[in-house]
Parts: sequence; C-alpha cells; structure tokens
Amino acid sequence: MIRLAAVGDLHAGVDSIGKIAPRFEDLPERADVLLLAGDLTRLGEPEEGKVLAEELRSIEIPVVTVLGNHDYHSGRQDDIRGMLEDVGVHVLEGEAAVLDVGGVRLGVAGTKGFGGGFPGASATAFGEDVMKAFVGHTEDVSERLEQALRELKAELRVVLLHYAPIEATLSGERLEIYPFLGSYLLAEAIDRAGADAVFHGHAHRGTEKGVTPGGIHVRNVAETVIGHAYQVYRLGNGVGPER
Amino acid sequence: MSKTAEEPQEYLLGRIQQALATDDRTGELELDVRIAGGRIFLTGTVATAERRDAVQVVVREVAPDLEVVNELSLPPAGAPGAEEDLPS
Repeated sequence: MIRLAAVGDLHAGVDSIGKIAPRFEDLPERADVLLLAGDLTRLGEPEEGKVLAEELRSIEIPVVTVLGNHDYHSGRQDDIRGMLEDVGVHVLEGEAAVLDVGGVRLGVAGTKGFGGGFPGASATAFGEDVMKAFVGHTEDVSERLEQALRELKAELRVVLLHYAPIEATLSGERLEIYPFLGSYLLAEAIDRAGADAVFHGHAHRGTEKGVTPGGIHVRNVAETVIGHAYQVYRLGNGVGPER
Repeated sequence: MSKTAEEPQEYLLGRIQQALATDDRTGELELDVRIAGGRIFLTGTVATAERRDAVQVVVREVAPDLEVVNELSLPPAGAPGAEEDLPS
C-alpha cells in the first residue's frame, strides 16, 4: 500500500513566496509521494519557477510533476524544469520515474498531454497546417506516454497528466471548451499500456472522479476541484507494508 | 448608413476574457466573468490576494464605465481531504 498525495494547478508566482510550503507542512506524515499535475506557475516565467522550487525544496518526500500549459507560456519551460530538478523534483514529459516507496517500486509515467476533444466531437489532423499541428501534438505526446508506460517496470504504475484523458472529470466545465481541456487519445494510450490510476489537473471547474473506457481510475486533482491543499489516495492494497 | 450602436456586451465579455488571459498582470484563463444588470461579476479562484486585486484592475481598464463586483476566492487552506482507496 502506498499513499499518493496529489494536487494540480498551483499557479505559483512571485507573490507566492511563503504561501506554498506551509500547505505541505505535515505531508510526510500523510503521504509517501507528492504528485503535482501541472500549471505549476502563472506565466511560465523563470522567476516564478525559482519561487516554486524554493517552496518545494523543504518537502521531505519524493515530488513528481508534469508541466502544464501555463508553464509553457513564456517559452522558458526548460528553465523551469531545470530549477525544479535542481531541488530534487522529478519532472516528466513522455518519460517515467521509478521510486522505491518502502520497498515497493512505484512507477510514474507523465506528460503534459494536450487537447483535441473526445469521441464524437474531436479534432482531426485535417485542413490547415495549424490544425494538423494541434492534433499532431496530442498524437505525439500520447504516443510517447504509451511508450513510457510500456517500458515502465514497477509493481504499481500511475500516470500523471495536466490535460484530461476522459470527459467524466470535466463535468462542470462548459461543453464548448472540452476540446481545449483534454483528449481521448491520452486515455487510449493509457488503456493500451495499462496503469493503476491516472491523475490530471487543468479543468478547474471539473469533477474529481472518473474512469477510462478500459476501467482505470482517473482523478482530477485541480486544486479548485478537490477543495483542499492536496488529496491523498491509497493505492496497491496488499502490495508492500500496510500504512 | 452603417450601424453605430453601443458595443454589444458579448464583445465586451470577449475582450475582458482575452485581457485576463494575456495581460501579464493576470494570466487568468479559468475565471467566470458575467455581465448582469449593468455590472461585471467576477467569480472563480485565484492563487493570491494580490492577484485578486490585479484581476479587478485589468477588468476596470477594459471596461471603465461598468462597476466590477469582485467575488473571486482564494485557494483552500492546508488540510487535505479524506483519504480515498483506489482498488486495483
């Protein structure tokens, strides 16, 4: 059994100094790993990444994250990634990390993901180049996620995204913006490769709980959806020591 | 003769939302903005009190003639929610 704390959409800024770390003060007593589901910053500026890195530095359990669309806004996503990695945060984009959690191997595969919508109302790679690029990006990140999951050797495997893989966890958002909130290609990739649970953010007005068409738990952990500093999920009953 | 009516509120709403997303003082894409009874109502959650004020400043600049009702919330505080078991 492992305990995963998860939250998305922290949107750190230079005005966040001293406001994020206290929210995770008692985290090591409550969870084994912290997952951050993207949109770590407000504008994706290096100054914001620096603030966030300092706020996360004191967390005593492993922290795994993906970036979100806000973190790409200033074109400095690589700098932000570097700052987070410097304080020990695992940053995933089409990659996976394996953590030893009390003797249990926990694998986390992650990607920002992207949009495009859901079956019956989804974008296709047709027409203008920008449309092909839009859908092509979703296809690329989904393929890389599937590959990372397939290569992931661990007793428990979870997926960390920013964009949503299913419609159910978007419930509460306006239907018109679903194609900008996620894509079924992400769920399809996850269902093909297999996983124990999926966490995402991005949809601030969505719904916490859902399931992929293949039957894998999905949780929208956007801060405004869970209504707490983070949510704790227990995974792998019977795997490793009880906690 | 071309029509010179006042700007329909739908376009004003669009301009406010564009400004909130692209202005570096805000960068807010997820807020609810509604115009009702000649006033602009702002709801949703922003990360800090400073940003709650910045949103109001940006909206006032786009729509200086309308009153702004700022009902933005701040994020939930420290405690986590109840644990949930995710059975395999």
